[in-house]
Amino acid sequence: MKEGSKATPLNLCPYCTAAFDTFEELKTHVVSVHKTEPLPKPAGWIALTVNGQVHELKVEPEWTLYQVIHDRLGLMGVKMFCDRGACGSCTVIMDGRPILACMSLAIECDGKHIQTAEGIAEAKHPLVESYIKHHTMQCGYCTPGFITTAKALLDRNPDPTVEEVMEALGGNLCRCGTYPQHPKAVLEAAQTLREEGSK
Amino acid sequence: MTAKKLGPYQTLKAEGTYKIGADKPTIAFNRIGKRGVRRYDGYAKASGKALYTRDVLLPGMLYSKVLASPFAHAKILRLDTRQAEAYPGVRTVLRFDDPAIHGRELTGSIAGPTRMAPQSAGWAMLPVKTILGDEAIFEGQMVGVAVCADSEQIAAEALKRVKIEWEQRPILLDQEEALQPEAPILIPGADSNQIIDERELTTKGDVEQGFQEAEQIVEFTARRHAHLWAGAELPCVIANWSGDKLEMWVHEQQPYLSKLILSEQLNIPMNKIQTHSLYQGCSFGERCNPSNWHQNGINVLAVLLARKAGRPVKLVLNRAETFYGESGDVMASHFKVGAKQDGTITAVQMKSVFANYMCTTGVEHLIDNTRISHLRCEGITAHVNKPPAWWCRCEQLPNVFCQTLIFDHVADALGLDPTQVALRNDGCEGHDPSYLSEFKRRHGFPDRDSLRECIEAGRKAIGWEEKWHAPGTRRLPNGRMHGMAFTWSHDWDDTRGTGSAAVMIQNDGSVSIIAQHSDVGVNPWTAYMQIVADELGVPYEDIEINPFDLNVGFALMSPDGSCNLGSNGFVVKKAAQKAKQMLLDLASEKFDRPADALDVKESVVFEKARPENRMPLKEVVKMATPMLNAVGIWTEPPVLAWAWHTHGLWGQALETGRPRMCRQANFIEIEVDTETGEVFVTKVVNVNDVGQAISPETVEGQMYGGTYMGLGRALTEEMVWDPSTGVLLNRNLLDYKYATLLDYPEAECIYLETGLGHGPYGSTGIGENTATMIPGLLGPAVYNAIGQRVDDFPITPHKVLKALGKIKE
Amino acid sequence: MRTFAHFNARTVDEVVSILRRYGERAHVIAGGTDLLGKMKDELLPKYPEALVNIKSIPGLEYIREDHGTLQIGALTRLEDIAADPLVRGKYNALAEATRRAASPHLREMGTLGGNICQDIRCWYYRHPDNRFPCLRKGGGRCYAMNGENRYHSIFGANVEQGCYAVHPSDTAPALIALNAKVKTSRRTLAVEDLFEVRVGKTTVLDSDEIVTAFEVPTPAKATKSSFVKFALRKTIDFPIVNCAAMIASEGGRVTAARVCLNAVYVKPYRATKAEEFMAGQPINEANAEAAGDAVVSDAKPLQHNGYMVQIAKVMVKRAILACRSEAPPAQT
Ligand SMILES: Cc1cc2nc3c(=O)[nH]c(=O)nc-3n(C[C@H](O)[C@H](O)[C@H](O)COP(=O)(O)OP(=O)(O)OC[C@H]3O[C@@H](n4cnc5c(N)ncnc54)[C@H](O)[C@@H]3O)c2cc1C
Ligand code: SF4
Ligand code: FES
Ligand code: FES
Repeated sequence: MKEGSKATPLNLCPYCTAAFDTFEELKTHVVSVHKTEPLPKPAGWIALTVNGQVHELKVEPEWTLYQVIHDRLGLMGVKMFCDRGACGSCTVIMDGRPILACMSLAIECDGKHIQTAEGIAEAKHPLVESYIKHHTMQCGYCTPGFITTAKALLDRNPDPTVEEVMEALGGNLCRCGTYPQHPKAVLEAAQTLREEGSK
Repeated sequence: MTAKKLGPYQTLKAEGTYKIGADKPTIAFNRIGKRGVRRYDGYAKASGKALYTRDVLLPGMLYSKVLASPFAHAKILRLDTRQAEAYPGVRTVLRFDDPAIHGRELTGSIAGPTRMAPQSAGWAMLPVKTILGDEAIFEGQMVGVAVCADSEQIAAEALKRVKIEWEQRPILLDQEEALQPEAPILIPGADSNQIIDERELTTKGDVEQGFQEAEQIVEFTARRHAHLWAGAELPCVIANWSGDKLEMWVHEQQPYLSKLILSEQLNIPMNKIQTHSLYQGCSFGERCNPSNWHQNGINVLAVLLARKAGRPVKLVLNRAETFYGESGDVMASHFKVGAKQDGTITAVQMKSVFANYMCTTGVEHLIDNTRISHLRCEGITAHVNKPPAWWCRCEQLPNVFCQTLIFDHVADALGLDPTQVALRNDGCEGHDPSYLSEFKRRHGFPDRDSLRECIEAGRKAIGWEEKWHAPGTRRLPNGRMHGMAFTWSHDWDDTRGTGSAAVMIQNDGSVSIIAQHSDVGVNPWTAYMQIVADELGVPYEDIEINPFDLNVGFALMSPDGSCNLGSNGFVVKKAAQKAKQMLLDLASEKFDRPADALDVKESVVFEKARPENRMPLKEVVKMATPMLNAVGIWTEPPVLAWAWHTHGLWGQALETGRPRMCRQANFIEIEVDTETGEVFVTKVVNVNDVGQAISPETVEGQMYGGTYMGLGRALTEEMVWDPSTGVLLNRNLLDYKYATLLDYPEAECIYLETGLGHGPYGSTGIGENTATMIPGLLGPAVYNAIGQRVDDFPITPHKVLKALGKIKE
Repeated sequence: MRTFAHFNARTVDEVVSILRRYGERAHVIAGGTDLLGKMKDELLPKYPEALVNIKSIPGLEYIREDHGTLQIGALTRLEDIAADPLVRGKYNALAEATRRAASPHLREMGTLGGNICQDIRCWYYRHPDNRFPCLRKGGGRCYAMNGENRYHSIFGANVEQGCYAVHPSDTAPALIALNAKVKTSRRTLAVEDLFEVRVGKTTVLDSDEIVTAFEVPTPAKATKSSFVKFALRKTIDFPIVNCAAMIASEGGRVTAARVCLNAVYVKPYRATKAEEFMAGQPINEANAEAAGDAVVSDAKPLQHNGYMVQIAKVMVKRAILACRSEAPPAQT
């Protein structure tokens, strides 16, 4: 989406109030005269890099990151389960941290890098296959939240202990009770990753 | 014997009706019962690509919300919706007094001569079963008005602008108080708060005689407070009209039935309703029954709103709104049990008072399971101003709750090992196990003693011999008290269910199972594909199922009552067998051999006597196609066969002459911190005789998975109401506490395969057992640890400390 | 959620000036894990008109030792504190408190400033749409006093208002036991003095004042600190009772003790009776038990929370015992 250029009717420089016809001209001005980058976006505009793709879009202040990723970007792997920060189902990885999309305001996520379960699967991360192998899903509604949380853990700690895996997944609820399978699946994926890495 | 020649319909019916007897496999198992079969839904679910109803967004879709009563008992005197209607973004408002619904009753599921009867509506306890009424008898009840707007937020805002004058009425929250003579009557015109239920009294034999035969009499009381399903996906329904055709997306275990109900309710021909039922984020029975208001009610409203608005409408519930339905085992019970010194139970008398709905009376497992001759069970249900109670994994909760407590109290009073007391009383409908042995022999089942085998396996796994002790006698080095307990029951073959499906061999030799089916996470499709693979002789990987569309006409038995596989296994098996016959029929022309001289394995058709005479299945069906541009070439009819199966009526195992023969045993080991009252579960052993496991990992998944739900129900899950207003206080997933990954250890799950089930290949159900069995087990376990009874569920630290005399109240 | 004006602040001054402009009608948002839940539920009579994001202010997220103190920026995430080797080494009570708070995800998002400034969890207060317009919202009565008060104060209500809602923070008692100070945009005060119960407020902060940092004095050599928490679940759960202690000993006897309970009173509850009792005593079972007894001798439980008295007593005992020089890790 490249709609940023028509967002403000009047392209005023926020530093010296000089006016420009187009947003691009204003941008050039700010970079050259005020030596700053990036130019503050027009109010409500954010750029999100989701699964490696940049999305620029206008959001309302009250929109949660869940609403933007699920409803706007159509990534259905972020799941609404508790809607209050109590279940981990809406977990995405944002700048390396597993965070809850239902408890984040999209407008505060400008410039962030985000990964969802879809991105993890597309990248053929071994977590996905090991989750399938270990039957680490029943109804599956909570599963993407576990996968993203586990991926964030393995990114930081490629060789976790069973306790560390359990601790990291402690914020993910599963009503079907798939719990015992997660440490098994995550540890196996970690091993596969390490083997792939050493090849 | 020359039977009357049956027509095609009667043939189908005869083939499809379950006949009592062991279902012995006629093929070698290649995939059935094997580990490592790739899970059908695995990739979709792990990759985040599985679509659930909640995920569906249609162009131009509107969102709808319904007003929830803030009062536990109140009537709308005046309703002013003008401001809501004028609110920007609001597209349609439907009021209870709209002629489209005014005074119309919400009809329920199949019952009685009229097929659809309001009496059977899932909110059976509700006196007024309006589609949308003007009176609330519990806080949170959807009443008065539904709005439809551009977004969920706007719909919610609009509802806040509805002005209502309420008449508040007195409330009752406790079922026993509701039956006191001085209690206010909740239902205008009724003369008491008791709900008439034909199951009110069950008697067998003569308890007085039983008590006289007894050498010991044990009496005790127990209580179970409300819990609920609290599934993962937030329920919603989507309706979209195009002319006279209706398209629906539903989160339901029984979408076909829901279509039938909708059609009856709104006069829409069934063939004009196209229903999609996608992946489902849990169900557990709560979303099983289309006659539940949260299901049927919102469906009807969504359809009416969509018609009025002329656009697709998604009616959504938020998390808090999903909390207005409780388990049907809210009970206060008194027990009197007579027993002989050797452990033989001579009589059981129980009296329970239920709130809003009695799932089961409490006595049924004692009938199905034991040789106890004298039983008397009184179950009274009272109206209270709380949400409708319903089945919730599963309706057998009261039955196993009672059985667990009765057996433990008796063993304790007699100073006997509870596993011995179980074996002493095992049986069926007052008969001892020799009756079952006779039945097994007569019907081709192996004469194995399922309970004994379960108990032996479980005792060994948990170390019962070494560790079990008298109550309150073992303090551990860490200062906590050690406790153990055991319970048992029969299997969960609910012996009912009907389904139909087709198996089709596509033109390229790949195979499709054609039928709608709802997935709630029990990995059913993998199991069906395993069965079809082995029965048809094709590789598992070549089979596919597309179960989301209800319009294919075939519908497999809904996943409730643990009768998923019990009936569907037969359906797909029979369909595969018929398809195989067709295939061999077709092949016989090509091989120029009779069909019965041929067989299929790994998608190769061959002559049994000369296996080198072979042809890939793909070649055999090359021209068998439903459609091919046949100019200048010949085609053949497709290889497609369908089957139907019915497995009797639910709850009538005995009338239909099918005693349950598989047993299960559950063992637990706990530690109690006597300073804080905290209960630590250290080991759970579940032993289930599943007859025959089709997918071992799936069986185990139900066993360990159910353990978490069971333990949560025992220790932390409880709905809490404000005593003066009747407002539900903990309707979110922080304050309603179910198990996290860190709360309990992984259960050890042992399944036995005795072939004693009435399902396909001798299998029986597993989906509901553990979650239902485990909760009651904590009562005996805590008693064994601290030597004091806490038969009040959930067993909170508060109650444990009270039993220990650490706090006064 | 209903809409509001939103500002991504770049400096503390900018926050203060926006807050001044809006008065009580604006809130700052840090991790948002507490605030957004409140906004979604619209539980207050007045919905915020504006949110001021302080995560966009650079330089408020740090952990460092500086002149015999540990300095922690207000925006530092709980998870980072829990994982920090420095904190784990010398400030065990804080490491443990942050490790046991909420859930992993919430700790990745939730800040220390937000944890200290978080609102109460009374389920009447938290019920959506201001269903119970109680004292704490400026209404006329407390619904918990005679209602479902199993998680409410056992040490009485706050005096002026009769509110029994407990302070739910896990980190507050740890910071108080460690004798920490809190720095705001305008002053420095002891964490212990930060809490105040008023309509719509849990702290003494003015409406245009924000927390910027915490300063924890580095404990002396023979000093140990601990944190214990009792909750119904092992994670994703607020404390029913928690307790932190910091005890300095010499020659086997306690020279100084600071013990603080939380979730038992409307503010973090300094267990001064335990501190007094322990002074000069060796740390052992009997003394720790007696110290616990002393603390709860003042308890005035409500109808449904009597069990919390017993648990509070045990938490005090265990927190103290965990400060023994070779104490095994506390169990709860
Ligand atoms: C499911 C769930 C479980 C939880 N469990 C626990 C638990 O076990 N223990 C526990 O302690 N907490 C728990 N919490 C509460 C809370 O989320 C965390 O404590 C978190 O640390 C709050 O930090 P935050 O940055 O997200 O706060 P925010 O939500 O951003 O802010 C909370 C409040 O503090 C104010 N505020 C934030 N920063 C400042 C500042 N620098 N100066 C002035 N005011 C400020 C805000 O205006 C707001 O009113 C839980 C929350 C949830 C949703
Ligand atoms: S305890 Fe306080 S917050 Fe809770 S209802 Fe009473 S006054 Fe309100
Ligand atoms: S849906 Fe976001 S944490 Fe539960
Ligand atoms: S698999 Fe169903 S909630 Fe986790």
